[in-house]
This record gives sequence, structure tokens and C-alpha cells, in this order.
Amino acid sequence: MKVICDRQKLHDGLAVVNNVIPTKSTKPVLENLCLVATDSALELLGTDLESSVRYRIDGVQVDEPGPAVVPARVTLDFVRDLSGETVTLSTHDNKCVISSGADACDLVTTEADEFPVITRFGSERTFSIQGGSFTRLVNRVAFAAAREAGRYAMHGVLAEIENGSLKLVATDGRRLALCTAPVEEGSAIRAAGKAAIVPAKGMQLFCRVISDPLEQVEFHVSENQIGLRTKSAEIFTRLIDGEFPRYAAVIPRESNHTMEADAALLARKLRLVANVTGTEARAVRFKLAPGELDLFGQSAGRGEARARMDVDFKAGEAEIAFNPDYVLDGLKNCEEGLVRLTFNERSSPGKFTLAENYVYIVMPITIEG
Amino acid sequence: MGAFPAPPRCGLTDVRIRGQCAVPHPMSGSPPTILHVDMDAFYASVEIRDNPSLSGLPVCVGGPSDQRGVIAAASYEARRFGVHSAMPTAEAQRLCPDLVLLPCDFERYTQASREIMAIFRSYTPLVEPLSLDEAFLDVSGCERLFGSAVEIGRKIKLEILRDTGLVASVGVAPSKFLAKLASDLSKPDGFRVIEAHEVRSVLDPLPVSKIYGVGPRTALRLEAMGVKTVADLARRSREDVAREFGATGVWIHDLAQGIDTRRVTPRREEKSHGMERTFADDIADREELRKFLLEFCEEVAFGLRDMGLRGRTITLKARYANFTTLTRTKTLEHATNLGPRIYSVARELLERIPPGPLRLVGVQVSNLSDVRLPVQEKLFGDLEMTDKGPAPRATDTRQRMEKVTEGLDRLRRKYAQRVVVPASLLGREKPVGRDGTNGKLKV
Repeated sequence: MKVICDRQKLHDGLAVVNNVIPTKSTKPVLENLCLVATDSALELLGTDLESSVRYRIDGVQVDEPGPAVVPARVTLDFVRDLSGETVTLSTHDNKCVISSGADACDLVTTEADEFPVITRFGSERTFSIQGGSFTRLVNRVAFAAAREAGRYAMHGVLAEIENGSLKLVATDGRRLALCTAPVEEGSAIRAAGKAAIVPAKGMQLFCRVISDPLEQVEFHVSENQIGLRTKSAEIFTRLIDGEFPRYAAVIPRESNHTMEADAALLARKLRLVANVTGTEARAVRFKLAPGELDLFGQSAGRGEARARMDVDFKAGEAEIAFNPDYVLDGLKNCEEGLVRLTFNERSSPGKFTLAENYVYIVMPITIEG
Repeated sequence: MGAFPAPPRCGLTDVRIRGQCAVPHPMSGSPPTILHVDMDAFYASVEIRDNPSLSGLPVCVGGPSDQRGVIAAASYEARRFGVHSAMPTAEAQRLCPDLVLLPCDFERYTQASREIMAIFRSYTPLVEPLSLDEAFLDVSGCERLFGSAVEIGRKIKLEILRDTGLVASVGVAPSKFLAKLASDLSKPDGFRVIEAHEVRSVLDPLPVSKIYGVGPRTALRLEAMGVKTVADLARRSREDVAREFGATGVWIHDLAQGIDTRRVTPRREEKSHGMERTFADDIADREELRKFLLEFCEEVAFGLRDMGLRGRTITLKARYANFTTLTRTKTLEHATNLGPRIYSVARELLERIPPGPLRLVGVQVSNLSDVRLPVQEKLFGDLEMTDKGPAPRATDTRQRMEKVTEGLDRLRRKYAQRVVVPASLLGREKPVGRDGTNGKLKV
């Protein structure tokens, strides 16, 4: 293989592919990256067997096509620190030489056929969505996915296509975020009814690969994996095989109490009161009276704190307590400035409407007697 | 009553700094402030008090011999025949053919126990009950109010006799170990003070088996080392004993020196709450076993609610006819103190135990937490997280159940615990254990 490539383009590609490549693996070959030169393109391949990336750099000068498997981390670091405009990659015996101007390194290569086969995107398109709108959707939801405990399916984000939109849902059993965005019509019909549980890590990977928020990205969902294609990258990640909790039924449809408040102000007041609450069983009490929200927090070891703010609340009085961290996680994503909280009782779920088609359910904290 | 914190007593670290050989009586500075009060033949004494015609007779409380019964308590008259608690009733009756065997009336003993504990607490908040009829008290700091520890001990003994008609043995000493030893050495109707300067003369002649932590096996091993009395043990170097017995060695060596830094801790935290029972006849019928389980679960749940606790981990214990004992455990998403919830898990756990006649079943709830602690509610309940796939809103069911239970508990407290029972348990007798007690376990 011998290729001459733009240094910046190569560096961008290496950075993307390195996202999936493990730094330590029981299979050492996975710590490598596979370079494949074809006709006028250079492909960079990486995988950890859960996810895989195929990144294509066009407009390169290919003097001799062929593959090379090189240590991924070192390649990225070396290319990053080069200063020339272009980089030359070439293989000699079992070495891969990376050079730019007067600087060069010889990297150890591994047999190309030891590298796993990386899935290719099929010609069939399932649905597509604007890159920026997809990353926003993920950012609004993925934080609510379970991290350590909880059933395995909850470590993923549920993706559903219905009525021409893509719906993402994530929950750790104590809170749940749900958001929808329209997808391109024609393709949506073909993909209707498909649901997939995507590991939260995979979703983050997808977001990192999307470099242009205006670009339309394509998705392909199969039995056990989901793929994303941008103009330069194809990425696949294995789906979680499990049962996602039946979330629809826990989203309250009707409610007795409705409060509307300035999201930024609520976040600030909440942080204020949360300062005194303890590390375990953190709770801030929301006490509502007409036009007014009173926040109260306490812990045995630290003391208590109060904060008050004007809100839009009409009927009577109501009370509910939440873990302030959970509420703040949601408020961070409230771009429209106004948040609506609706709930029935102090023990039933609180529904925060953070934007159009974006709800965040938080289970309250109850204190007996 | 003021809550006077106990002043720090001679700590282990102090002793080590000064070096063990140089300090033959590490307690010499501390006055006796720990009391150990132990009721004499408690259950039997309550029975005799309530039926004076029994006095002077060998009286025992326990389960009947034809149901594999064991003795729960024996009066001193019965003990003269060699009868002791935990002995099979059949054997006790063989030793003492005239034995008066009475069924266990746990409620009356609990009542008497409450009165006794109330007397303790009127002197000091630092009361550590060890069982219904036995407790440690720390009275340091109470001298100005009630006099010295010795005076308080005398007052308590008198008050118990006056208010409950029962006899207690009292030990007063600078540490828990010595206080218990003192009450033990003076039984029955005893009162014994061990002053710091007497520690050696009291301990030295005692057999090592009197040391807390020295069981029959350790005693044998010690004897093989040529250690028979506490004095023998105390003379050994700490390193020698530690090398032979590890951490236990350090512990028993300390006790032999009279060093015991354990504090009197009121309200020992409950770690688990459970109930088990050995049946009169082995039971193989699962339906019958489930009924017992339901009964135990209701009882355990009531106990938890009574203590203001709930638990997440449920353990089923089953013992087969050949004494093989199995346990199965499940941890719930939500802590509970509801009988039906505990039962549904216990039932599930019973399914995981191979069939066969059982001589014992029991249910235990652990991983306990205070009901007053704030609880993070969950979106999906336990029932919804089964493998069959989640079906939402168990929270509502749970809350309804909690409300109903609250009302039922009020009835149970006012009338009797068994005034409301699940329909399937109607007409069943309250479950009793082999010693006639209700089989409640607290660990």
C-alpha cells in the first residue's frame, strides 16, 4: 500500500475511528486500526466487536492499493503532531512508514486477515434525519439511561419509528426522558414499527461521528444491529437484546396540578437549596401556592435551606419532593426558557415538559409521616 | 432524664501504648459503672408468680414432648434435677418425672419484660437489652441523680421485685464482661460487685470456659496448652495466644486481663427480622407449607411495621427430615413491610426448593431500613420487572395496600393481632415454636 493524503483529513478520520478502538483488549488485534487503500479513497476501519466504524477519506492519491493494520493510538498521536500539509503512508515488508516532509516513523504491522470483517452499509435506506436534530435528540434523552444498576435493557436508549417521527426513550427506573423528532417521510413509512434498544455508548458514538449538523444522516436497523451513515463514515453498533420497560403507561395523561416556571431561575434556586441536602436520599420539597413556589431542603448533618420564586400556579396548594440532581439534569436541556411541571399527588410521577415533544418524568421522593 | 454520654473508658489503645506487662490491672482506674441485670428463670418465674400454687415445684416452660418440644426455661427446683433450657422435653421428663410442664405464654413474658426495661430506662438511657430478661446498663454520669452504680443496682433489684414480683440477679463491674460474670456468679437472687482492684482475684481461679468466646472446643485446645484457669491464660503472652487462636486469641486474652472496651449501646440495630418453626411432624404438602409461610410472613411484616422498619431482602429457610438445610434469597427493588408482598416472594422461593418432607421452614427479612427515611419512588415496580415483561403501576397497588394495612394495624393493636387475618388462615392457631415461644428471630 502507498497513499498520499491530506494531513488534516487523515487526522479527523483517525480521531473518529479511535472512538471505538479499545485501548486495552483481550484480543490485541482490536487495538489496531486497519487502513485500506482503494482506487482514489483511503478507508480507516476500527472495531471493539460491539461497535465498528468505517471512515472514508476521498481525494487521496493512491499509488499502490492494499491494506495495512497498524497500532491505532500511536498512529493518531503521530499524525496529530506532524506539521506538513500531506502525509505519505506506505508499507514495506512488515512495516508501515508514515512520513511528512523530513519526519517519519516506522510502525509495526499485523497481518491484515487477522483483522475482523467490518459490516458494510446495505443499499437499502431505512430512514434519515438531519444530523443536528439527531444529536440534539440523543442529548435530550441519553442522560436518563441507567448506568450501574437496573436491568440491562435500561442501559440503552429505545429508538422507535412511528407516525413519521423518531422517538427516543431512556430511563433508569427513577426518571425517564422521551423526545421525538420528525424523520424524512418516504423512508419513515418503510421503517414504521421498528424499535431498537441502542446502547447509550453507541448513541454517543453516533453523535461523535456526525460532524456537520446540517447533513442528512441515514439509519439502517437490522435484527441485531443499527447502522448510521454520514457522507464520510459508516458506523454500526450491536443492539441490546432485551425487553424495555413498558414506559408508555407511566407517563401521566391527566394531572391535578400544573406549574409553569422560568427554567433558568428554577435551576438556580434548586441548586441553592440542594447545597444543604445530604449525599444519600437527596430531596428538595416543592411547595406550591397560588403564584408561588417554595423550595425546601435539609439534612441532619448540615442544616436546612429555603428559596422562593414566582411561578404560574393557579389552583390551591400542592406539595411534592424530588431529587434535585434529577430535576437539574432535565432543566439543563430546557432551551425554550419555560418549564411546565404537572403531577397528581406527592407520590405520583412528576412530568416536566421541557420543550415541544420533549417530556421528562421524574419519580418523587416520599417521606413517611 | 438527661442523656449523659458515657465518659471514655480505658481504651485498648491506651493499654497497648503502656505495654501489656506493665499493666496487670488495666481497669484499676475505672469505677464500676456497668450493670448486668439478668432475671432468674424468667419464664418459669412469671408462671409461678401468676400461679403461686406452683411455687416450690419443678416448673418448666416449653413445648410438649410428643411434638419434639424443648424446654424454654426451668425453675431452680427443676434445675436441681439436671433440667436446663434447650433440653428436649422428653429428656427433661425422664430426669424429673414430676416436672410441671407449662405452655409458653409469650405475651405475658413480653409484658413483664417491658415493665422491667422501663425500670432500667428510668435510671439511664444507656440500656442494651440482650433478650427479654437480660440487659446491660451504663450508669456512669447518673451518680448525682441516683447515687453510685452499686446503689443504683440495689434500687433496680428492689424495684423489679416490688413492681413485678420477679427476682433479678445483678452484677456491677467496670466492664460488660465482668458485669455479666458478676451476675452469673451470684445467681439466683444475687447481687455482686466486682471492683477494679478485685478483678484479678475474681478472675484468676475461674475456669477458662467462663470467658465469653471460649466454647467447649477452645477450652479443650487451651487445656492442651496447659491452660485451665483464667490465671493460666492471663499469664500467657498475648503473642502466644494470638498465634494459636488468631483474632479470637487477642479477644480472650484481653478478657482474661479484664480488658473489655465494648460500650453499652442502646437500640442495637436490627439487622434482620424473621420467624421459623420446627414442625411436630414433617410436612411435605406444599399447600400446607405455603399456609405456614403466609402466617410467618404476616407475622414478620407486622413486627417490621411495629419497629418502623422495612426490608428488601427476603430469605426462605427450609430444613429437610435429614437436617439438610437450604436457604433461598431474593432482593427486591423496593423495601417492604407488607405481608402479602413478602409472602409472594417466599412462595416463589419455596418453588425453588426441591420437594420432600420438611421439618422446618422459616422466613427472614433483612437489608432493613427505617420507614421514616425518604424513599426514591420508582417508575416500574417489582412485579413489573419480572421476566414476563414489565406491566406498569405497581406503585398504586402498593400505596393502596399500605393504606389498608395502616387501618388494619390500628385494629390489631387495639383488639388483638389476630383480629384480622387472611381468609386462608381463618381458624388456624397462632403458630408456636418447639419451645412454645412464637419462633420470632431477631438478629
